Amino acid sequence: MDLIYGQIRDAVRHASVRARGESIERRRSKSPTKPSAAWTAPCRIGSSQGTALSIVLSSIGCTHARSEEGGCTMCSYLLDGASRNPTAEEFFLQFQTAMRKLEKVGAPLSIKIYTSGSFLDPDEIPVDSRYQILKTISEDDRIKEVVLESRPEFVTEAVITEVRELLGNRSVELGIGLESSSDFVRSICINKNFNLDSFRESVVVGKRHDIGTRAYVLLKPPFMTERSALLDAQKTVTDAISLGTTTISLNPVNVQRNTLVESLWEKGKYRPPWLWSVVEVLRHAYSVSGGAVNIVCDPVAAGKNRGTHNCGNCDSSIVDSIRTFSLNQDVSVFDDLNCECRELWNHVLEHEDVSLQIHT
Amino acid sequence: MTEFRIGRGHDGPARIGEYIMGTEVYTTPILTGPIFTENPIIPYGTIGRVTSNSLKPCFLAYPFELQIDESEKEGIRETDSILLPSLPSFSALGDGAGALMLKHQMDALDELQTTIEPTRMVIRIPDEIDQEALTSSLTDFHSKGVRAAAFVFDGLLGDQDLNSIVQRKHLPMSWLALALGRITPGTIPLLYYVGFDIIDIGHACEAAAKHQRLWHNGTESIQSGQQYRYCPCASCQTLQDIDSSQLVDALLNHNVNIYVSILSESQNAMASGRLRWLVESTTHNSPAHASALRRIDRNAYSFIEEFTPSTGASNLPLIGPESYNAPAVRRFREYIASRYKPPTYKKIALLLPCSARKPYSDSKSHRRFLETIETSFSSATSQIAQIILTSPLGLVPRELERMFPAASYDIPVTGEWDREETNLAADALITHLNKFASDVVIIAHVSGGYLDIVRTAESRISQSIIYTSVDASPTSWESREALQETLIDLKDILSIKPSRPQELEEIIRSTADFQFGPGAGEVLVPENARLTGKSYRQILCRVDREQICSFVADTGLLSLTLDGARLLAPLNRYWVRLDAPSVKGGSIFAVGVREADVAIRPGDEVIILNDQGEVTAAGRSEMSGREMCELDRGRAVSVRHKLEGD
Ligand code: SF4
Ligand SMILES: [Zn+2]
Ligand SMILES: [Zn+2]
Repeated sequence: MDLIYGQIRDAVRHASVRARGESIERRRSKSPTKPSAAWTAPCRIGSSQGTALSIVLSSIGCTHARSEEGGCTMCSYLLDGASRNPTAEEFFLQFQTAMRKLEKVGAPLSIKIYTSGSFLDPDEIPVDSRYQILKTISEDDRIKEVVLESRPEFVTEAVITEVRELLGNRSVELGIGLESSSDFVRSICINKNFNLDSFRESVVVGKRHDIGTRAYVLLKPPFMTERSALLDAQKTVTDAISLGTTTISLNPVNVQRNTLVESLWEKGKYRPPWLWSVVEVLRHAYSVSGGAVNIVCDPVAAGKNRGTHNCGNCDSSIVDSIRTFSLNQDVSVFDDLNCECRELWNHVLEHEDVSLQIHT
Repeated sequence: MTEFRIGRGHDGPARIGEYIMGTEVYTTPILTGPIFTENPIIPYGTIGRVTSNSLKPCFLAYPFELQIDESEKEGIRETDSILLPSLPSFSALGDGAGALMLKHQMDALDELQTTIEPTRMVIRIPDEIDQEALTSSLTDFHSKGVRAAAFVFDGLLGDQDLNSIVQRKHLPMSWLALALGRITPGTIPLLYYVGFDIIDIGHACEAAAKHQRLWHNGTESIQSGQQYRYCPCASCQTLQDIDSSQLVDALLNHNVNIYVSILSESQNAMASGRLRWLVESTTHNSPAHASALRRIDRNAYSFIEEFTPSTGASNLPLIGPESYNAPAVRRFREYIASRYKPPTYKKIALLLPCSARKPYSDSKSHRRFLETIETSFSSATSQIAQIILTSPLGLVPRELERMFPAASYDIPVTGEWDREETNLAADALITHLNKFASDVVIIAHVSGGYLDIVRTAESRISQSIIYTSVDASPTSWESREALQETLIDLKDILSIKPSRPQELEEIIRSTADFQFGPGAGEVLVPENARLTGKSYRQILCRVDREQICSFVADTGLLSLTLDGARLLAPLNRYWVRLDAPSVKGGSIFAVGVREADVAIRPGDEVIILNDQGEVTAAGRSEMSGREMCELDRGRAVSVRHKLEGD
């Protein structure tokens, strides 16, 4: 069995490299002093209403995606990356540019720092920039909450100690793309290249420093039927919660450019998850956590062909409910949803498992 | 015990059989689906997810990521069959990914076989797989005891579906073939025809969920307040005033009814030898159906031909271009080209148009032609080769006009031919006339489309051609006058001597060549043969008082006596070799066949050899030669004559 799994993994790895193709060379050269994106939105911080600034730093991109491993099957963040890595000063300038959006905003604030990879990866974000950025945050009293994103291999005792020391008693969360708690799904369907132990370890390290973990849970990687995907996401949520994560962020797969998922999608061999499945996972998450864990979902390209979608008639009302739920954690928003396409979704759940024909 | 038994009968790879799951015996072809109804449908479900609430044995899918623990194994009953785990779409990665899925299933089999008999397992053939990897792993699975495989269809009748159909031919004969996925009712005749025994009707639910009614040739969307098609089925009677909560169920029932009725129609067509015709009629469902059949005829011809019986329906409609390469038709053209040899004493080759009535000589027009020949060429008519031009068979020598399908095909006669059929006939004509001596005179007594054939072929025909019917129909008085004058003139010019009639010899010899290959005619009708009988009833051939064979006009075929079989045996064709010293009873079963000529088709006259290689019987095959070798059960040959003794 193990031998074949190894060969199956290799096949996925090669296909991921192939799908990435030339895209790694075709990246636009961007201004190294501007972030890829930065935006503010209202959010809940603790029990009060505040503002969140999300910053996507423009870096050379995820080490995993740049390597011969080919990156994850659904991820094209690499494309957002720069063709050369910015210098430490340039990274800091990016951060400062983004922070200007908060000049006239009052407390409480939440800062979420994303890159096209891992903020804690020293090959991606120089240690000096990381230090400068965290230091700047520590000097701003309005900021009560910080979210950083990283793969688990960069979540080390030393780095986390540094983060905690710099950020003082702020609430800190580490966003980690767990995707699936099944090593099989994570490695074969996603090509993620770390195992559950590595994630578990990161949660523990964080906890030691009173740093929470935001687990990104992927709904419907390739090579899965709708039902398998739904069950796997539900199980992942259960497992992540019992491992002690503080937030569950559900990510229904969307078809991104130059990915393995896209190449399957173009051949009619992949369909993004149904919104009904998203709702099902969120409901499950709520019932497992009993409200103790924050559950959020901000589906990309929802209602579109490339994103999670239903029949087209009910999509926007369901997406609205999902957004509302993410803000207020009120699961009853899902109660009144209904559409004729639910029947079709039920058929897909049943028929894909038996036939293994993807219902596009 | 789970077992697939193949029964008697073929029309193309289509067959009937029994899939035995425990005490339940499902007769194939059969439908499979999630629905539990009184209909004969094998239910299916997924282990640990949807288990059928049916009491009947069912197919259970084994999810790839599932580690079956003991508790779940209890949900699997002794009688259920298991669809082995595979990853959807994985084979689309190419690069041997499909082969990996098969290897994975082999591993799963090894793990599961301690509790689940491999005869209960169904392997899933990946959408994309190279042929070598497929055949070699099928051999491995076969040796482990697996006897069933499932193929995936997306319902578009494009590359994937074609691929599944073409891959199906690699299954060992004794295996059960399942078609899973999105399969519309209109595709059922085709899938059955190419050899699928079990067909998924999950699409019935999909369509119902989308508020669609399925029909044999398309879908109809049901919207309230709109007029819809009349349907006599029970669930459609209340459709008008049904409330929306029951609508899906009503539509589902209707859709299932359609599948059931189309499968039944297909079974019926197969029983009467008209399945191919039914499949051809579905080509008008959509361009996709039409191109699918064309591509199958091209890419899987030898597979389909191998199981196409050498005899068939007494009335075989050949309607359009979809018939041009039907196996029975193409095989006829090929046999005429490769097996027919004209007698050397022919001085004239007379080309005639076909007639709607079969055999041609029973038609009014041909009776007139024959009269004209008789009056103008009396006592030397045997020196005229009569060749009937026709579509899509190309041409039919008069001696073979009672051969299947020449005696039973039915075409819409308009006199207009399309380019493809003109070319098919022209090619056949060129090949045919090249077999005649170069001093043979050709008379083209044809007009219209038939004349176009001759003109198309003309430049590649070496003999000289006389046209006798250019301006008027061949049956017209002027044309027949012209034919008569031409024949009288030629009799003179070629100094034709009287000769005895050869009609009976020609029929037996050419039929023998057609049935058994070149040389058979000379063997069965040596110089000292005595022929008696009538061409339109029966002809007996005797040598030294012993009967050798008889020609039966109704079937157009020869049947051999033991003596005839002995004479033919040295040609080394159409033989079936047994494991035993002699034949017991009236049938030979596949299990008793050691080896058989792979050229044998169902319905062929065959020679039975015993374990010593001696002729021990003659009979008619019930399956193809390859099936006789591979199958472990089923009737291989119906014996007509056998060596009496023990
Ligand atoms: S999902 Fe995360 S780890 Fe995977 S390639 Fe994208 S950025 Fe890298
Ligand atoms: Zn809908
Ligand atoms: Zn009906």
